[in-house]
Amino acid sequence: MTAAIETENLTKDFPVGFWRPRPYRALDNLTLQVEAGEVFGLLGPNGAGKSTTLKLLMQLLYPTRGTARILGRPVGDVSVRQRLGFLAENPYYYDYLTAEELLSYFAKLFGYRGDDVPTRVTRVLDEAGLGAERRMRLRQFSKGMLQRVALAQALINDPEVVFLDEPMSGLDPLGRKQVRDLILRLRARGCTVFFCSHILSDAEALCSRVAIMAQGKMVASGKLVEILAFELKGWELVVANVTGEARAELDKRARQVTPLADGRFMVDLPPTADPARLMHELSGRGIELVSLNPVRDTLEDYFVQTVAAAAPRQTGGV
Amino acid sequence: MPPAIESGLRPSNRWLHAATAGLLALSIGVQVARDLGWQPYQPTTPVLWFQSGALLKKISLGFDNLLADIYWMRAVVYYGSQRRADESDRNFDLLDPLLTLVTTLDPQFKVAYRFGAIFLTEAYPSGPGRPDRAIALLERGLAANPNGWEYLHDIGFVHYWWLHDYRLAAEWFEKAGQLPRAPEWLAPLAASTLAQGGDRQSSRFLWRQLFESSDADWLKRNAQRSLFQLDAMDVIDQLNLVSQRFTRREGRPPTGRELILEAGLRGAPLDPTGVPYVTDPATGRVTVSKKSVLWPLPTEPAVQPPAPK
Amino acid sequence: MRAVFLVAGAVFKESVRDRVPYGMVMFAVLMIAASYLISQLTAGQDLKIIKDLGLAALSIFGLLIAVFIGIGLVSKEVEKKSVFGLLAKPVTRAQFILGKYLGLVLTLAVNLVVMTVAFYLVLFYMDMTMPAMVKAGWPAPAPDPRLLIAIGLIVAELALVTAVALFFSTFSSPLLSALLTLGLWVAGHFNSDLRRFENVVDVPAAAWVARGLYYVLPNLAPFNVKAEVVYGMPVSATHVGYTLLYALVYISVLLTAATAIFRRRDFK
Repeated sequence: MTAAIETENLTKDFPVGFWRPRPYRALDNLTLQVEAGEVFGLLGPNGAGKSTTLKLLMQLLYPTRGTARILGRPVGDVSVRQRLGFLAENPYYYDYLTAEELLSYFAKLFGYRGDDVPTRVTRVLDEAGLGAERRMRLRQFSKGMLQRVALAQALINDPEVVFLDEPMSGLDPLGRKQVRDLILRLRARGCTVFFCSHILSDAEALCSRVAIMAQGKMVASGKLVEILAFELKGWELVVANVTGEARAELDKRARQVTPLADGRFMVDLPPTADPARLMHELSGRGIELVSLNPVRDTLEDYFVQTVAAAAPRQTGGV
Repeated sequence: MPPAIESGLRPSNRWLHAATAGLLALSIGVQVARDLGWQPYQPTTPVLWFQSGALLKKISLGFDNLLADIYWMRAVVYYGSQRRADESDRNFDLLDPLLTLVTTLDPQFKVAYRFGAIFLTEAYPSGPGRPDRAIALLERGLAANPNGWEYLHDIGFVHYWWLHDYRLAAEWFEKAGQLPRAPEWLAPLAASTLAQGGDRQSSRFLWRQLFESSDADWLKRNAQRSLFQLDAMDVIDQLNLVSQRFTRREGRPPTGRELILEAGLRGAPLDPTGVPYVTDPATGRVTVSKKSVLWPLPTEPAVQPPAPK
Repeated sequence: MRAVFLVAGAVFKESVRDRVPYGMVMFAVLMIAASYLISQLTAGQDLKIIKDLGLAALSIFGLLIAVFIGIGLVSKEVEKKSVFGLLAKPVTRAQFILGKYLGLVLTLAVNLVVMTVAFYLVLFYMDMTMPAMVKAGWPAPAPDPRLLIAIGLIVAELALVTAVALFFSTFSSPLLSALLTLGLWVAGHFNSDLRRFENVVDVPAAAWVARGLYYVLPNLAPFNVKAEVVYGMPVSATHVGYTLLYALVYISVLLTAATAIFRRRDFK
């Protein structure tokens, strides 16, 4: 079985400067493979080369070097776009068309005709959670609504591979949850999802595999559990109703005790602590337990480490 | 190595470039074919949309000098294109209104007054032949700049060369010479104009001054042409004397060949621009060829009485 | 080809709903109506002035629509990145350019039809209200169908200007494209002076350069038969035919060049 997406030594230089343009390497020798049916996250801070990668895959940019193939076909092949969906970052569409008109325009571009067009339009708009607004002109839409329209248009052709550039941006918490559910539904359907994000919690919840990028290079890739050991780093305990004596006891055992509002305290315990025993002891002194959470290595931590480790780039940014 | 489309590299534009070039060539072909039967339309009664310089100055929103430049270029192009037009539909009707417009928009536009006056005075078919309008134009220039001795000199010149009124010409030269910063040669010019009228020596002097003082090529060439004409007129006088001698002796005018022999020349005499003189077979009179840029020669001031007032 | 028509349809729908061109059409209609009032102020030449002003309004406002919508729809689309979503669909960049162009020309044609109708209404009114004696002195009847020749050539000229605008907007910013297009429009009208440039300068090299520019730059003067039509002078069918053919060929030049630039372009 061929990979859904594969790139080999994909490299993109942009000329920077007006008088004596020097090449600025936005993407450096990216080689990756995404299997069919995977949800793949391309992660990294702003300017890491995520959008450049996505644009190269959509052939909005031409590579300086290297190749990219989608569903076994080169990216220049227009026929393969029939089977793709794409959500651009900060999508803007025509101000004076309604959501329905825009989607039926796109549906027709994919070659659908007759009743098939309104059926598909209604389905994807429902899926994206757009209700009565679909007959409004797009200029009246909020950023979050436009993001939903953009998501809907990426799915109009039941794509086999979906590319999403920052799909959660501009959405409220409810919207983020809806998008997350949508991606999970796509995965269940067997669709390959390739998305870029700098928000790591999204990736943690969704991705089967990730690649982490920094300054144009891929610094790590693999299954999340492989990249992150999920090692226990400590405990975070919140307690209330603390007496002076109990406070002294806590200070002895904890790495740090931080007073919170309403007489509560946040207690940072080392991984070696046994919170069950501690609680037992403390509850005898009338202390009330509010919450207890294990602290593990997160993608966020990894992110900070790897990005900090990468050497600063020589040329100035764009 | 896979082809470009396979590797996803930028597509080659060779065919599109070839198509662009081919279509551009075709568009030139279409234009050439069209131009065989087309001239930009010029209405028989040409319209100058804005006749009033004062109005135009108001609506030019402070760009009146720029607008003056544009109208000046229009006047030059108009004059030039009319000069090249077929004689049947040549007319210079818009020249004066255009010049008025230019000088109303920019009253200090010296070139427009001085060149404009030259355009206006040129006799038909080289120009409208309106020395009166030229003088009016120069007088407006003088009103805008009372110390401009050039305007006085030019008015004198129009009287001298086109109206053959040497007394008035001398008066204007005299007045010009009294202005501050006027050149010294104006006073002697006034005196000799008054004393000798329109003899070729004075004319030559005037044109030579113009030739030497002008930094505009066009004006220089015009002066040069007039100087050549004066030289040609000297030669023609000589040749006509020979021709008359022949006619008296033989009882008939000489042919061109006989004239050359009679004058003892080695070949056909050439005018200063290198074009042979022509002999009228009926009268034997010699003059410049119509092919020469010197044609037509100016009316000889010396043989013509001063123009009536 | 279906993709081309779909893109054109979307352009048309988008731009007829935009309020800016409506404003322009309204203004032009008002101006044509006002020409009737202006004509009351001048003696004798009123029909001529109405026709002059009407045709001028038609071509100036058509020009503004062509430039501003033409630029807006491609440069703006690139600048606001809506082009990303579209080009990820099964649409080639050549289809995109051609579709945009057809949509623009369609919009322009509809706007001009509206203005033409308003223009003829004024002329019909003029024809009805004038006594026969005055009408006898006119070189051409008021609602002269021959005005349509002039208007037809204005449409062809504007189609060419739209192609210029589209060409520039494939590689430069909206503002720069607008300026370049307006500049080329002005140059295109002065262009016929270049043809006889040797009348004005004596340097042969300059005259050759001028002649080269005359043939290569868009030549818009031949599209202007407004004066002939207003004065009731003949306009030869050959000239109209050649001019339309020229428009077609030159538009093809521009669209081919625009496609060549656009298909190799990187969208950052």
